[in-house]
Amino acid sequence: MIGLPANRLFCLILLFLFVPAAVCGAPVTRTLSTAEPGAGEVFTVSLSIDGIDLGGVVETLPTGYAFAGTEHPDDRVLVRGQHIGFAVMNDTAITYSVTAPASGSGDITGTWEDFLDETDGEVAASHVAVDGIETAAESAGEKPAAQEAAPRFAVVAAAAALLLAGWGGRR
Amino acid sequence: MNRWYLLGLLLLLAVPASAAEDIPGDADADGTLARAEYASAALAYLDAAYMDGAGDLDRDDIRDAAWVYARWDGKPREVTDSTGRTVTLYRPLRRVVTFSGESLETLRSLGFDMDKVVAVDKYSHEKETFFPECRDKANVGSIWSPDMEKVLSVRPDTVILYATISTAACDNIQKRLEASSPGIRVLRFDCFKPATYAGEIRTIASIVDEPERGEEFASFYGSTMDQIQDGTAGIPDGEKTRVYFEYWFDYTTVAASAGYNEKTELAGGKNPFATGTTEYPAVDPEAIIVADPQVVVKLAGQGLAAGGYAGHDPEALAAIRSALVERPGWSRISAVEDGRVHVIHSDILGGAQHFIGTAYLAKWFYPDRFSDLDPHAVHQRYLTGFQGIDFDLASQGTFVYP
Repeated sequence: MIGLPANRLFCLILLFLFVPAAVCGAPVTRTLSTAEPGAGEVFTVSLSIDGIDLGGVVETLPTGYAFAGTEHPDDRVLVRGQHIGFAVMNDTAITYSVTAPASGSGDITGTWEDFLDETDGEVAASHVAVDGIETAAESAGEKPAAQEAAPRFAVVAAAAALLLAGWGGRR
Repeated sequence: MNRWYLLGLLLLLAVPASAAEDIPGDADADGTLARAEYASAALAYLDAAYMDGAGDLDRDDIRDAAWVYARWDGKPREVTDSTGRTVTLYRPLRRVVTFSGESLETLRSLGFDMDKVVAVDKYSHEKETFFPECRDKANVGSIWSPDMEKVLSVRPDTVILYATISTAACDNIQKRLEASSPGIRVLRFDCFKPATYAGEIRTIASIVDEPERGEEFASFYGSTMDQIQDGTAGIPDGEKTRVYFEYWFDYTTVAASAGYNEKTELAGGKNPFATGTTEYPAVDPEAIIVADPQVVVKLAGQGLAAGGYAGHDPEALAAIRSALVERPGWSRISAVEDGRVHVIHSDILGGAQHFIGTAYLAKWFYPDRFSDLDPHAVHQRYLTGFQGIDFDLASQGTFVYP
């Protein structure tokens, strides 16, 4: 480790540990047409699916937000309350619409399963807030705190490591 | 008394993990899982698992349904095992118990998920070097002394037994399992016989839905056996290499009915003692000298514990060989005079790896005909490419000497 200060090495190790876990390997990712919809606005949620031949995705909307439709085949969609279940059959993308409430914020959360590979996991949460205004309302989704906290911690840890690495390099 | 009570209770309560004789999700019970039925089943599972809905499909059910839909075209799979019995599979193998190390090894060759093997026979359990993943699995004893309580306690959906050896013991286990757990799949394969192994590889590959892997492995196995067969083809009986094959025990040989004799003959050897009905007959020491074998092969292994996967011990095999050549009168035997006395471990001659041992025999019997056959390389490729174990033959194990 010639010319590599110990603290910098430590930061690099932190980066290797946390960055891949934070950004790689998720077979289902979600994007929103907007994270700050207007009151009553219908926005689009797109799920990108990579490598699941037969499986399922269950999305959970924050309280007040309502499922407004999808082009996914009718016989492969089930809506119950704030939950929307999609049966995945060689799909690479699923798009659905959501109507925003008059006000309110929260996370859209999701869970995926690959029935053939016998794996499962969480879809990283997406935050939405009507007009960008945060409210105290809780998300309707229930998930273990650790599962939600992990990616955020990873991003914070990675950012901290980057800063420290830069600081270590200037010394 | 308590033991019998417990066994009785287990027999009453035991329900195999996947005993039902239908495909999960097959709503109209017509024996085919149609696209719409599968989609409906998937939603029903998601509803129950994540959406606060009700439903009776659990995670194993939907995974099995997905398997049948994707890999078996939505239909049950019929397989014929090595007893000629046809078994209908409505679900993939999920909780397997093997009473046969050879079948276990073949499953691993085919890339089967070994986590789905929930219990193994005592001999496989003891082979910590070769089956390290079995160390923590349940031990169900042997076919001669099966621990039926243990078998039932692991809730198998499939039990694998031998097909054509120890048939009375295996029949008895099968009968007891089928009586206590209707719907359990009992499959019977040998996986050690040259005459049937290639076919068994393909059948088991079909069961675990690894046809490409099965073809690759069957081709690998077949290419070695074919090379041996082609290399020995056309040798007149009178010109075949005379071989004295000695079993684990001194002055005990192998007769026509023994598997080791079959491999000796496949390699082009002529066994002067291949007569009689006893598998492993004692032989008169003087008769060996009179027969004047051109090659002597001594078996090491279970009854003569040295070498094999258990340890790197060439000195032990060398000592076995030295003891042979120093036997009274043996200095006059052609094999001793020509330095053609060899020791081979049963690990590579008696079970699923018989093709490796047979390759060594062929090379020893006919070095010129098999100059391009490299049994060591075949062995290493088998371990690395098919068994997937980290075992370097250069520094681990001892299987032949010299």
